[in-house]
Amino acid sequence: MSAPYPRRRGALAAVGLLAVGALALSACSPSGEPKPTASVAAEPDATLTVGLVLEPTNLDIRHTSGAALEQVLVDNIYEGLVTRTQDNGIEERLASAYEISDDGLIYTFTLNDGITFHDGTALTSADVVASYQAVKSDASVQGHAEFADVASITAPDAQTVTITLTKPDQNFLFTLTGPAGLVFKKGDTTDLKTAENGTGPFALERWAKGSAITFDRFDDYWGDAATIGEVVFQYIPDFTAGVNAALDGTLDVLTAVDPNLVSQLEGTGDFTVTTGRTTDKATLAFNNAKAPLDDVRVREALRLAVDHEALVEAIGAGQTLYGPIPELDPGYEDLSDVAPYDPAKAKKLLKESGHEKLELTLTIPSFYGTTAAQVLVSDYAKVGVSLEVKRVEFPTWLEDVYTNHDYELSFVLHVEPRDFVNFANPDYYFGYDNPEVQKLYEQSQTEIDPDKSAGLLKKAARLVSEDHAADWLYNGATLTAHTAAVSGFPTDSINSRIDLAGVTKSAE
Amino acid sequence: MIRYALTRGALLIAGLLVSSAIIFLTLRVFPGDVAQLIAGTQADPQTVEALRESLGLNKPLLAQYGDWIAGILRGDLGTSQLSGASVGAELAEKSRVTVPLGLMALAIALLIAVPLGVLSALLRGRAGGTALSIGAQTLAAVPVIWAGMMLVVVFAHRLGWLPAQGFPRSGWATPAKAFESLLLPALTIGVVEGAMLMRFVRSATLQAAGQDFVRTAAAKGLTRRQALIRHGIPAVGLSIVTVLGVQIAGIVVGSVVIEQLFTLPGIGRMLVADVGTRDLVKVQSELLVLTGFVLVIGFVVDLVHHAVDPRQRAEEG
Repeated sequence: MSAPYPRRRGALAAVGLLAVGALALSACSPSGEPKPTASVAAEPDATLTVGLVLEPTNLDIRHTSGAALEQVLVDNIYEGLVTRTQDNGIEERLASAYEISDDGLIYTFTLNDGITFHDGTALTSADVVASYQAVKSDASVQGHAEFADVASITAPDAQTVTITLTKPDQNFLFTLTGPAGLVFKKGDTTDLKTAENGTGPFALERWAKGSAITFDRFDDYWGDAATIGEVVFQYIPDFTAGVNAALDGTLDVLTAVDPNLVSQLEGTGDFTVTTGRTTDKATLAFNNAKAPLDDVRVREALRLAVDHEALVEAIGAGQTLYGPIPELDPGYEDLSDVAPYDPAKAKKLLKESGHEKLELTLTIPSFYGTTAAQVLVSDYAKVGVSLEVKRVEFPTWLEDVYTNHDYELSFVLHVEPRDFVNFANPDYYFGYDNPEVQKLYEQSQTEIDPDKSAGLLKKAARLVSEDHAADWLYNGATLTAHTAAVSGFPTDSINSRIDLAGVTKSAE
Repeated sequence: MIRYALTRGALLIAGLLVSSAIIFLTLRVFPGDVAQLIAGTQADPQTVEALRESLGLNKPLLAQYGDWIAGILRGDLGTSQLSGASVGAELAEKSRVTVPLGLMALAIALLIAVPLGVLSALLRGRAGGTALSIGAQTLAAVPVIWAGMMLVVVFAHRLGWLPAQGFPRSGWATPAKAFESLLLPALTIGVVEGAMLMRFVRSATLQAAGQDFVRTAAAKGLTRRQALIRHGIPAVGLSIVTVLGVQIAGIVVGSVVIEQLFTLPGIGRMLVADVGTRDLVKVQSELLVLTGFVLVIGFVVDLVHHAVDPRQRAEEG
């Protein structure tokens, strides 16, 4: 059976990112030109303080979904055989090299030399096998469903790991860049919820819940040592408070800056603000399985009625997106021709479908800003649709919308990369069921040639957009501010990964 | 006295039991659960079900309630379903912010209420007294959150004297900083609670003024005001103790709002966050501890009252 839910990551991720993204999306400041940094020598033992919005609930990345967790732990504390670049490319990490057999079924990884866990134990292929076996056999481990096509995981010798699939999986290597691919010590008894034993360039120093997580450089790191001595992730849930903390000198870096507050930071001349790309898809979900949204004319009308350009401007950052695949994922195509702003046509379609006057409810998790909902209410009013906005807590959203499919319209920022599968899964909360799309997706996953695979995805994505399975309000961008002393801080995709390896801080 | 203490103690235990049942049941009306939150939006239903099972969320309600109460009786407040941390330990840690905040707020409230309350009673009928009364009435009606925002605007933004949010990462290891960061929040609660308390002090003082022993003292040659200050006010003290019990509950409630506003890592904010993540085992233990705290204060106040006030003992016969 094909994995019905090949990717599973983060509700919290969704939440966090969403919150982050939503705000991030709300202002349009051109990305600050990086100021020429005075060439002051980097301080190797410097402490870097990074302001973040969403704190993880625990540190157990094996069992808990969430971008807040991945953002800080992956690559810094824990590592996998392969990892992701800022633009979602795949590169080697614990593996020095990997090979994929011509039939796409056998993956052979060679490990780097001298890798040790933070407790000093050497890492061998046996640890990799044990970690991946757990993903395969234990349903409660994150990534379990994505390992459905894994036939065997073996270690021919201490430096080599071989994974055999039952059928080719174009996404498998990418899966290994996420939590499912992280390597833990075999038989470790560390309580992963509160402690860690990874292999990364940093080790957990302290976690003051509700306030900050501190990492220290791990001096016996197998690769290039980190270029800062200590990192403090300071969690500040309020956006204005975050900016205040940056302004009073508490922070070196502030992530997820509210676009409306950017001018305060830039005004001082002390901060450089960068705009990073993300795979955040601000998704206006339609309940395709429920009248009147099971009528494609109604769904099309609801897309044509939204002025996406104006919406992006109101949000303040990000770009328009007219299909399910964002620019950073394979299969992206500009689909703006499918649903251009056309309120007159929207009205006509609604009339045709017998819904000249329509009342709909939009269910939206309460941590999102109000901008998107306000724009929708006003755009829809112009075509005779009155929209009632129902703000709920995230667990309520999960139960009502996600689990019980009890909704009409919903707004959530879907942050996971490569999550097109949700439109190929008729049981997902979108209620969208198109066998042609499902077939194309399946083919794209078993296709060995990446370009051909992307081509198939592109075709499927166009179909989804032409079916108006949902509306994509925008593709989020995330703003990051840092002081002149900081260099090398990542820009793109940082709401799911902040790789601190090359970051330096100078004395100023 | 012993009989009274025993009866009152039994009432306390019954109160705790009833509260625990109410807390447990009311939390169960929330839609959504922690298992779904842990699993995420890409999880398949089987995974969520497996998680629910392992967290004990599938057990019958009565069994869940029994497990919880049995744990409490063993002195175990439970473990967070989300973070795996001990609820007791986290409560202890967060109380290092909330308890000092509450005590500071209480001190501020008393500093405002007692002198101003007595003063406004003494000045009754005069312009000053009326002004004080109206001021207290107005302040007592102010929502805590609005008072907090006003104080932030004035003292943090305009004057820049005090921090507007947060608690030092080093905590009480840097006492001056920790104290500073609690000052505005404590002032916020203290002023509003103080205004309410002041109205009470005023009316208690006025009532005392009408009592026989004050009149007697006045008849013996003291002025009315002297009689009131020497004999009336000590009697007022006792009733203030009673009202303080209620005030403390108000301060606990106020701290939930205030910690949110000032981003203080205390019990109030923890509670709000835990409700948001449906970490219900944790929430119910936290609520029970808070309820227990308020009930115990009421118990102590009653005992003190009983021991000190001869009229009550007489009634008991």
